[in-house]
Amino acid sequence: MQTGVIFDCKEFAVFDGPGMRQTYFLKGCPLRCSWCHNPEGLCRQPQMMVSRASCTNCGRCRQVCTHETCVVCGACVSVCPLHLRRISGETVTAEELAARIRKNGDYYARYGGGVTFSGGEPLMQTDFLLEVLQRLRGLHRAIETSGYCEPAAFDMVLAELEYVMMDIKMFDGTLHRRYTGVDNEWILQNARRLCEGDRPFVIRIPVIPGVNDTEDNYRKTAAFLAGANALLRVEFLPYHKTAGAKYSMMGMKYRPDFDPEKSIFISQKIFEEYGIRSEVL
Amino acid sequence: MRERIRNMVDFFVIQKAQRAYRQPEEDAYRLAREFVAAQMPAMERSAMRLRNVLDREEPVVFPDERIAFTRTVQTIPTIFLEEELEEIEQNHWIHERGDVCNISVDYTRLLDTGLVPKREELRERMRQWECEGNEEKARYCSLQIGILDSVLALAARYREKAAQVGNETVARTLARVPAYAPENFLEALQMFRILHFVMWCGGNYHNTVGRFDQYMYPYFRRDMDKEIYDEESALELLEEFFLSFNRDSDLYPGMQQGDNGQSMVLGGLNEDGSDSYNPLSELCLHASLELKLIDPKINLRVHKNTPIETYVLGSQLTKQGLGFPQYSNDDIVIPGLLNLGYEKKDAYNYVVAACWEFIIPGTAMDIPNIGALSFTQAVSEAVEQKLSQCGDFEAFYEQVRRNIYSQADGLCEKVKNVYLFPAPFVSLMMEGCVEKATDISEGCKYNNYGFHGTGIATAADSLAAVKKNVFEEKKVDAEALKRALEKDFEGDEQLCNLLRWEAPKMGNNDDYVDEFACRLLDDFADALAGRRNDRGGIFRAGTGSAMYYVWHTKDVPATPDGRHRGEGLGCNYSPSLFSRCSGPVSIMQSFSKPDLRRFINGGPLTLELHDTVFRTAESVEKVATLVKSFMDMGGHQLQLNAVNRDTMLDAQRHPENYRNLIVRVWGWSGYFIELDKEYQDHIICRMELAV
Repeated sequence: MQTGVIFDCKEFAVFDGPGMRQTYFLKGCPLRCSWCHNPEGLCRQPQMMVSRASCTNCGRCRQVCTHETCVVCGACVSVCPLHLRRISGETVTAEELAARIRKNGDYYARYGGGVTFSGGEPLMQTDFLLEVLQRLRGLHRAIETSGYCEPAAFDMVLAELEYVMMDIKMFDGTLHRRYTGVDNEWILQNARRLCEGDRPFVIRIPVIPGVNDTEDNYRKTAAFLAGANALLRVEFLPYHKTAGAKYSMMGMKYRPDFDPEKSIFISQKIFEEYGIRSEVL
Repeated sequence: MRERIRNMVDFFVIQKAQRAYRQPEEDAYRLAREFVAAQMPAMERSAMRLRNVLDREEPVVFPDERIAFTRTVQTIPTIFLEEELEEIEQNHWIHERGDVCNISVDYTRLLDTGLVPKREELRERMRQWECEGNEEKARYCSLQIGILDSVLALAARYREKAAQVGNETVARTLARVPAYAPENFLEALQMFRILHFVMWCGGNYHNTVGRFDQYMYPYFRRDMDKEIYDEESALELLEEFFLSFNRDSDLYPGMQQGDNGQSMVLGGLNEDGSDSYNPLSELCLHASLELKLIDPKINLRVHKNTPIETYVLGSQLTKQGLGFPQYSNDDIVIPGLLNLGYEKKDAYNYVVAACWEFIIPGTAMDIPNIGALSFTQAVSEAVEQKLSQCGDFEAFYEQVRRNIYSQADGLCEKVKNVYLFPAPFVSLMMEGCVEKATDISEGCKYNNYGFHGTGIATAADSLAAVKKNVFEEKKVDAEALKRALEKDFEGDEQLCNLLRWEAPKMGNNDDYVDEFACRLLDDFADALAGRRNDRGGIFRAGTGSAMYYVWHTKDVPATPDGRHRGEGLGCNYSPSLFSRCSGPVSIMQSFSKPDLRRFINGGPLTLELHDTVFRTAESVEKVATLVKSFMDMGGHQLQLNAVNRDTMLDAQRHPENYRNLIVRVWGWSGYFIELDKEYQDHIICRMELAV
C-alpha cells in the first residue's frame, strides 16, 4: 500500500471544480514559483509551522526543545498556550485517506460535487495519488495541477479523473524554466493530451505582473488550446500580494522575483478570438 | 435603484434629516405621576398614554414621499412610577420592560376593515356589554374607541398637512386609510405604516412584521393585474415602504441599536403542501438586496422543495454582509410546533419573533424569551459537586442531567404570575380579544413560555474532555481537574492546553462529542416536557442565546474544555469560540445531529463565511447549496454571515474574540488572527474596495 503526505483539507471549496467539493492538499512540489502562496506545500517532508503574529514570546517552546535544529519532533506544539505551532504534513496511507474522503463522499455527491486533489503538486506523489483515486471510483474526482509530470504517469492518473484543472503558467520554455525552475515540455505534452481527449478540463493562468501577463503569452496559449473539445474555459488567477502570508510561518522569506506592485494585464479578448471562453477569478 | 429612492436613503438614513422635526425629550414619568394622582387603573393608563403620544404627534409630510408618518415625539411615557413597579414586582414576574412585546399581530384584523367600521363594531359591542351590565368590558371598549379616535384624528391632521405642503398622493391616500379598508397596494402599505407606528407609540416594542408577503399579496396582485405598477415601479414603492422601518428605529427600545424586532417572514409551506412563496416575496428580497438596510430583517421559510433559486437570491442577500436572511426549515419547525400542541393551521402560519423564536401571528401571547438555561453551568457545577466521587463517566453525566432538571425547576418557578402591561390597541389585532373584550396582556390562544439554552458547544466539549481525559485515558485526576478549574488553570497551563487544543470539539462531525450535545439538548427538552405555566401554556426549549451568552459567561468559572474564566460562550447555536472546526460542512453535520424538532423555541446555527466565497455567481450558488444542505440534514434554523471589514478591524483589536474567523486570503483559507499584521491590513484594504 502506498503512503503519502498531505498538508491540508478544505471543506466547501468553492473554486475547486463543479458542485460542492472537498479538497485535499498533497505535500511537495517540483516547481519553485516565486509567487507561490502555499509555501508549506513545497517540501515533501512534514515541517514545523509557527504563526508568529500573536506570539507573546513566553519561551515555553524553547524550554522543551532538545534539538540543535528542528527535527519536527512536535514537543513544542502542545506547550504553546496560544496553539500557534503545528506540524504541517501528515503521513497517511492511501486506504486511510480514501476512507476519510468517503466518509463525506455522499454529501458532496448529492450536491453535484466530489473531491479535488491539490497541492503542492499532487502529481509529485503519483503512485500514492493513483491508489487513492482508484479507491475512490464512483466519486467525482478532480485535480488541480501544474501538469508537471512524466506523460506516461499523467495518462494513468488522467484515466482515474473526471475533471482536470491545469495551469499553463507560461508558454515560453525559457521563461518557464527561469520563473518556475522546470521546463514546460512535459506540461505542454500533457496539455496536448487533454486537448485531444474527452475529459472535461479547465486551463488556469496565474497572472503574475511582468512575468506572463503579455499579449504574446496569451496568444500562444490560446492558439495552442484552440479547438480542444473538452476545454471548458480558461481561468485567469490574478496575483495577490497576500501570496506571501504564510512564508514567515514556515521560517522562510518571501522574495518575489518580479514587481508585485505592478498592475496586471489580462485579455479575455485574445481567447475569445480563438473561440475560448474565459473567466477572471 | 431609482434616483428617488437613492435620495430618500440619503435623506432618512444617511443625513437622518427627519430627526430635525423631533420634539424635545421629556420627563418619562410625568404622565405616571398624573395617573397616580388620579388613581387611574392600569388599563386606562395604557390607553391614555397611547392617546397622549398620538395627540402630541405633529404631522410631518415630506414633499416627495408616498408613505407618510414620521415620529416627532421622542419620549414614550411610562404608565407606572418606579416605586409602583417595585411593588408590582413583589408579587409578579415582570418580563423585560413589562410591555406586551415580541409578538406578531394579525394586521388583517384592522387592514381588512378600516378603523371607522372597527370603531362602529366596538360601539355596538360596548352597548351589548352595557346591556349585560358588564361595565368593565364596556369601559374597555370605550378605551379602544378612544384610541381609534386619536389615531383617526392624527391621520386627519396628516392629511391636512399633506394638502398644505402639496403632497397630493399622501393626501389622497389618507382620505381613504386608515379610516376605511385600503383599496390598493399603496393604501395598504400606508395603513400598515400607521398601525405599526401606533404600536410603537403605545410602548409595544419588538413588533414583528409577520408574513407580509401573504397578507399584502391580494393588494399587490390586484394592482399588478390592473397594471398600475410594473415590476420596476412596484419595487420602487416597496423600497420606499422598507425605508419607513428605518426612519424612527433609533427611538425603538432594544438591547442594542438595531435590535428592534422588525422581522419580516417570507414564503413557507401551505397546509396542502404547496409553497406560499409568491412574486411579492421575491420582490421583497430584491428590495432588501438593493437597499442594503438592516430593516426590515428578512426571514425565509424554506422546506425540502424550495427551489435552489430562492436560496441563491437569499445568498446574494447574505453577500451584502447584513447577516440575513435567516432561514427557518418548515420540515422541522412545523412538526415541532404540532408536537407542542399548536393547531395545524397555526403551525403552518408560523413566523419568527424579534430574533428567531417561532411564534404564531394573531393568536400567540407566547413569551419565548422569558429565561435561559445555561448548559455550561450545569456541567461546571457537576464538576464541583460530584466529579471526584464519580466511579465512571455515566455517574458524572447523571449529575449534569440533575443540574439541568434543577435549573429547569428554578426557571419555571421563577416566571410565575407574569404581569404584562395592558395593550388595548394591540389587542384589536389578536384573536378573540375584541369579541370577548379582553386584553392581550391577559393571554390569548397560546400562552407558552420559552427558554433559550446557552453554551451548548462549551458544555458538550467539556463533557467530551472529561470523558476522554479523566475516565478513559486517565490523563488527569478528577480532583486535580477540579482544583485547576477553580484556579483558572493558574500553574496548570499544560493541562489547559491539553483540554483546549487536543480534546474533541463540537463542529467537526465527531460523534464522540456531538452525542453529548444531543443528550444535553434532549435532557433540556425532557426537563420541560409536560410542565404547564400558570397561564395554561407550556414551556418550550430552544437553542438560541440572545444576550444570555454574555450574561451566563459571567457566572461560569473555567470549564473542562480549556476555556478560561470570563471567556465568552458561542453565540446562539454555534461552536465554541476557540474550537478549530474543519469547515462549514462539518459544523452543519455536527449541529444537525440533535432532533431539532424538539427545540421549537428556535435559535439559529450561526456561521461566518468570508465574503470572498461570494465572489462569483457560481460560488454564490454553492453558498446557496450549502444552506440547502443544512436543511436537508434536518437543521431548524440558520443564520449566515459574510464577514466583512468591520469584523476584521474588531478582530485586530480583540483577536481573542475571533479565533474562528476564517479568511479566504487567496486560493487558501487561514485564520485571520494568525496572519502577520501587514497581511491582515491588506485584506482589510481589499474589503474596503469590495464593500
